[in-house]
Amino acid sequence: MADFSRESMLDMFIYEMNQLVEQLEQLIIQCEDGYSMDDINEIFRIMHTIKGSAAMMLYDDMSKTAHAIEDLFYYLREENPSDIDYSKLTDIVLEGVDFIKSELARIESGDESVSDPTELISKIKGYLGELKGETGVSAKEEKTSKPAKQEKSAASSNEKKVENEENKEAEPEGSKHFLAKVFFEDGSEMENVRAFTLLQNLKECIQNVKCNIEDLQDENSAEIVKKDGFVFSFSSLKSYDELVDMINDTIYLKSLDLQEGESHKYKALIRFEDGCEMENVRAFTVIHNLEGFASDITHEPTDVIDEGATEIIRENGFKFEFCAFKDYEGVYKILSQTVFLKELELEEITENVEKEDSKETPKADTNKKEEVQEQKQEEPVQAKAVKETEPQKPKASEPQKPKAPAAKKQAPTQHMISVNIGKLDQLLNLMGELVIAEAMTTQNPDLEGLELESFNKSARQLRKIINDVQDTVMSMRMVSLSTTFFKMHRIVRDMCKNLGKDVQLEVVGEETEVDKNIIEHLSDPLMHIIRNSVDHGIEMPEERAKVGKPEKGTVLLEARNSGGDVLIIVKDDGRGLDRNKIMEKAKKNGLLKKPESEYTDREVYQFIFHAGLSTNESVTNYSGRGVGMDVVVNNIETVGGTVTVESEEGEGTTNILKIPLTLAIIEGMLIKMGGAKYTIPISSIQETFKTKKDTIFTDPDGNEMLTLRGEVYNVVRLYDFFGAETEVKNIEDGVFIMLENEGRTVCLFVDELIGEQQVVVKTIPKYIKKIKGISGCTLLGNGDISLIIDVTGFFDK
Amino acid sequence: MALENETIETIEPENLEEDTTKNKYLTFKIEGEEYGIDICHVIEIITVCSITWIPEAPDFLKGIINLRGSIIPVIDVRLRFKKEEKPYDSLTCIIVIEYENYQVGLIVDTVDEVMYIPEENISLPPNAKLKFQNKFIKNIGKIGEDVQLLLDLDKFLFLE
Repeated sequence: MADFSRESMLDMFIYEMNQLVEQLEQLIIQCEDGYSMDDINEIFRIMHTIKGSAAMMLYDDMSKTAHAIEDLFYYLREENPSDIDYSKLTDIVLEGVDFIKSELARIESGDESVSDPTELISKIKGYLGELKGETGVSAKEEKTSKPAKQEKSAASSNEKKVENEENKEAEPEGSKHFLAKVFFEDGSEMENVRAFTLLQNLKECIQNVKCNIEDLQDENSAEIVKKDGFVFSFSSLKSYDELVDMINDTIYLKSLDLQEGESHKYKALIRFEDGCEMENVRAFTVIHNLEGFASDITHEPTDVIDEGATEIIRENGFKFEFCAFKDYEGVYKILSQTVFLKELELEEITENVEKEDSKETPKADTNKKEEVQEQKQEEPVQAKAVKETEPQKPKASEPQKPKAPAAKKQAPTQHMISVNIGKLDQLLNLMGELVIAEAMTTQNPDLEGLELESFNKSARQLRKIINDVQDTVMSMRMVSLSTTFFKMHRIVRDMCKNLGKDVQLEVVGEETEVDKNIIEHLSDPLMHIIRNSVDHGIEMPEERAKVGKPEKGTVLLEARNSGGDVLIIVKDDGRGLDRNKIMEKAKKNGLLKKPESEYTDREVYQFIFHAGLSTNESVTNYSGRGVGMDVVVNNIETVGGTVTVESEEGEGTTNILKIPLTLAIIEGMLIKMGGAKYTIPISSIQETFKTKKDTIFTDPDGNEMLTLRGEVYNVVRLYDFFGAETEVKNIEDGVFIMLENEGRTVCLFVDELIGEQQVVVKTIPKYIKKIKGISGCTLLGNGDISLIIDVTGFFDK
Repeated sequence: MALENETIETIEPENLEEDTTKNKYLTFKIEGEEYGIDICHVIEIITVCSITWIPEAPDFLKGIINLRGSIIPVIDVRLRFKKEEKPYDSLTCIIVIEYENYQVGLIVDTVDEVMYIPEENISLPPNAKLKFQNKFIKNIGKIGEDVQLLLDLDKFLFLE
């Protein structure tokens, strides 16, 4: 365990990590067909953050893995090699992400056991080596490693002098500035000496050397070089390519990042949100992030790990200075993404001007900086520039990183907080009680027959406010489907790899929002359906070509709102369901309940949701055991949804999940039948009407029907359906309610309509077995119970 | 009844805290016959309130009630014992019990009292002697000359 308590931070760590990993996974899947520079930078940045955070929490394995991937992307970013096997790269990176994910899951569950990432890391490194075309070089280098060690003594004595001398050296005319970041091979040992040797070798042609390690003789510096690389800036007359060649000659060099350009000096002041706690650790994270691209970092307070620093940072903010090759906007953007950031001041210190004015020793710089502090006018101008460039940001991968745009905004305050879901649940329950209590008050029997003008006015006002509160509470619980949907990309991709199919997943309407409780139940069913579509539905590419379909199969995943429900549609363009085969299987399993010929296509297809019914002859990794589709139905039914499947042989299959937007509160129509009041969800009511006796007729089987505007509808008498008693049996005395569900309509006969009401759905106690036609119950204003009618119950008898 | 009241008082005070519910039974009457339920399952006793009828339920399952916001199914014990239904009167009570996480209300003619029946006075039902079906009876408790039929809640609630 760490020397400071990390428990309190653990939650935060896991939360942030999960966010990052999710973002990363989406990003990787997104750009499997080709990584744009933006994507690479983004992945690099995320990996860097993961590495830093994991290291801070002392999860070395995770940090090392992230580091390896970071290296990989570092290389990609710098070299931008053109002939990359993206799919292989994606495989490797996903493997790394999986490892981090499993590590996270382990940390979350408090499992202390360790898994070894060494193999994975060496795989990543091996791939990196492959990319560089450096396979086999390492063996040669092995031999040369010994002489290098002997250089140590000589190196250490000269080292300091060299640096000082070079710092003072005047810059020759026409020289350019460079920043180099060098990593040495793992296990090369004595990285500090190697760094020193490198400087010695370059001594002839570079000037003004500044590096990230003050004293290369120090034993500890080897560790730093090993971890963060050896970063040094210099100016030189040589061209970029020449320098790269020269540095690449260094033995045991693993990666080199050489940037040309002016190094900008920045001064920044960060204030964290009040009450965010552990300001010092946050400051440390900021510095750690900076190390990726900046050098010469100095900060105040100097020792951020010290407990006392927390107070200082809280009071005065966290001040730091650094040199970076990025321009102002770039730096600003990165810094403004700091977690819990309240205020950020960033100034560019114009060092060049100083140089021209007075070619002074670096010491003078520090004095000047204080003066520069006064010239703040530069800052707002720069800030505006950031704002203006904002809209032109390449759209690249906007939708799947919803956090990013918010973070980029000028006001660098955090607008999101994470709330325990338990509290939201409780709030929702209270909300439900409030709605009932309101009804109990305003519809109190004591008020009946009284003239209460001002009371009614106040009651309406109360009602309005409660409605608003309710909407807000509900919207707090709404989560967009995008995360759930993007997980599916991964599944499709992995399956394609394993099955040798070529399938693309098209996602539409992923921004649709659904209650958090429902989302939890969606992931599994969707996964099963998509697996089913890819495995059973989509044919092999050759087969597809033969029947004249494009070789690449398509699975469409679509979400859209429809009344009070959300429809999630999974549609593939595969071979479709084989009706006969399903029928055969169903017969074998004894599922048929009526003569075979009476089954409609729809009913036959519905059999695939029965446990143990798989038409796939062979069991694959993914499906064929017949479990899965029944899970779909169970899961969807627990959230009050339905699953239907449509199919056309040779054309494809469409699965439609219909799920309620929210579970808790619905708009209902209160009706009376017998002595009881029932509630019908408004969303399924088409219309209500009264009709004459002569519009009703009965078919030979005794099924009642009625005609309305030339259309014929089935009639269901509610008292008949439930087997209840009522006095209203005459068609002309009661009311018809036309109900619609999935394109089918039925007319329900009830005694009378009472009115519309918002009701809080309560479940029927589990002691009572599922009742057909009832989906739950609710409490009325007077404390009575009203059963909520499940419209689907009227359709499948 | 005086006898039973004394029995309750005789519980040793030191055992009171941990064992207040042990071997204590809530007794109620159906058609003059006395039955007992282990008191640890009993939550509360309420008077009959408005019961909402539900479709598709067996006849003894009278419906559901609203007990301060929670929905609880109620069983008419008379009907469960296949006896004549009797209109509810001022003595009729609902005993709300919780058994294996199921909350259920039992409608009984009248609730009697809570009594202590020592272990040695409880015996298995002598099947042959009882005229009515005894599938819901777990044990017989004896207090002096009186006999209490102790309910087997598991069978009572879940036997089809």
